[in-house]
Amino acid sequence: MRPEFYKVLASPVLWGILILAAPLPFLLPSYYLHIVILSLVYVALASSWNIVGGMAGQISLAHSLFIGTGAMLSTALLLKLGINMWVGLLISAAISAMLAAMIAWIDYRFRLGHLSFVLITLAFAEMGGLVVEGWDFLGGASGLLLPRDTGHFLDFQFGGSHGAFWVMLLLAVVCVLVNVAILNAPLGYYLRTIRDNENAARAIGVNVLRYKVAAMVISAVLASIVGTAYVRYLTFADPYLLISPVITIEIVLFATVGGLGSAFGPALGALLLVPLGEILRGQLGGVLPGLHYFIYGIVVIAVILITPQGLLPLFERLWKRRPGAAATRPPTVAP
Amino acid sequence: MALLEVEKVTKRFGGLVALNDVSFSVAQGEILGIIGPNGAGKTTLFSAISGFAPPSSGDVRFDGTSIVGVLPDRLVRRGLIRSFQIVQTFADMTTLDVVTTAALTRRPIREAIDYAAHVLGRVGLAGKEHLTPLTLSLQDKKLLELAKCLATDPRCILLDEVMAGLTMAETDKPIAVVRELNRQGVTIVMVEHVMPVIMQLATRMVVINFGEKIAEGSPADIVKDQHVIDAYFGEHLDA
Ligand SMILES: Nc1ncnc2c1ncn2[C@@H]1O[C@H](COP(=O)(O)OP(=O)(O)OP(=O)(O)O)[C@@H](O)[C@H]1O
Ligand SMILES: [Mg+2]
Repeated sequence: MRPEFYKVLASPVLWGILILAAPLPFLLPSYYLHIVILSLVYVALASSWNIVGGMAGQISLAHSLFIGTGAMLSTALLLKLGINMWVGLLISAAISAMLAAMIAWIDYRFRLGHLSFVLITLAFAEMGGLVVEGWDFLGGASGLLLPRDTGHFLDFQFGGSHGAFWVMLLLAVVCVLVNVAILNAPLGYYLRTIRDNENAARAIGVNVLRYKVAAMVISAVLASIVGTAYVRYLTFADPYLLISPVITIEIVLFATVGGLGSAFGPALGALLLVPLGEILRGQLGGVLPGLHYFIYGIVVIAVILITPQGLLPLFERLWKRRPGAAATRPPTVAP
Repeated sequence: MALLEVEKVTKRFGGLVALNDVSFSVAQGEILGIIGPNGAGKTTLFSAISGFAPPSSGDVRFDGTSIVGVLPDRLVRRGLIRSFQIVQTFADMTTLDVVTTAALTRRPIREAIDYAAHVLGRVGLAGKEHLTPLTLSLQDKKLLELAKCLATDPRCILLDEVMAGLTMAETDKPIAVVRELNRQGVTIVMVEHVMPVIMQLATRMVVINFGEKIAEGSPADIVKDQHVIDAYFGEHLDA
């Protein structure tokens, strides 16, 4: 591990944000708390997707399969078999890991190109959706309703939106830190070489299959855990929300707008776009149906055109150019 | 004992026989030069040895065991690495990142980063650690190919035209690096069109034409060989 990882871990900014954020549930009206929780869910999801989509450069559309497994399966295990949801979380994560490893292996074995990979991951996600809809055990098309959250921690209950906030904050931070860790570890180097030039990566000793599988599995396990926590917050396991490609598209969008491949870019994208989307919907949803989508779309297009590498690099440039920034002060040349 | 043995290797691409029954061996510590006209099959030979395009028939042994069917990255870890004639670039990484990845073959990450910086200095790329390979000049890209190979601490390197396209003065640095590596015990097999370079470096030469080995011997003998003169030098010397 490079020392940079420990610097981030020990950074006062990280701990400062956490300490400032911790009391938010007591301060925010419930509508805004909901938006914050939703943002944290997407910070975690976009960061988990970034490991495959950003670092390894593989546009996977299978993310909803892992979120959906974490959400629908753990719920079904509890309701149908009485299995504790903590155990359900682990079982779902293990199954997500296996599905992820299988997809990565197929990609490697059949040397899928970029487009084939996108299409095959989409096909897996769609198949997951069909399985859920067609199988009553997983709730079928009507979904599953979790028992009320009475705050029993041992039953995976966190006491409604206050608890959900802290759980999501924790998961968001963990997902971002996993990104930081990978980028500062050998795996980050391997994934970036694979992304840039797979054959040349192999030629300098990179085991392409092993690290593609590793990226996909880490990404899927995180997504699955977030899925389980998310469904606990929502209480209703809705297949059309949790295992639909729409949620993947949103994640890809947030990660891309924030900055693919970087540790903080996807988080930044989610933190900006989720509240924007929710507020636009709240303000304009009643005015003209679809207007908020339109404005949202324009914002996204503008960002991508203005800063194709995402918002994070743009912010970094602005930060370096801020008045008084030492690094960019023009050199004083003696006349 | 021979470190690398190529035995009756044939490689077909559909109907085209790119290599036909080629055999030779390379002793530990040698610098073997491979020459031959364009399209003779030299790069194909390297691909066949290094696991990128396994031979259609025949055997390749490294350190006494057959390596046919072994994947390239495993061979790198066993100490056999090739460079690419067409330099391989990485779009979104710095040269230091790329060479660090190569160094990770045998070192933990912090050591790998220091070692990569050291290797870049050694091949003459000091000060260019933070450029992306895409923006390097052709000479520097060739030096980067060399640096990637060095960083994996190989026992045997297959160098495919690392001096091609360079001016005589520009070849000084890579020649010095190859010499020094060889002094440290690294076995080198190099394909090169630049005759003065290969004549002064190689301890032995193999000549390939139309996928077949047509001669083998010391550099001094090779330039006198009539087959070689006909197949290869003729056109070059007349020019
Ligand atoms: N992947 C491939 N598919 C089909 N034919 C190939 C392939 N690779 C090489 N060839 C053919 O095999 C023959 C040998 O090519 P090779 O690149 O090995 O020659 P070379 O000796 O390295 O030439 P040069 O000096 O130009 O680098 C050529 O006729 C080439 O067209
Ligand atoms: Mg060649």
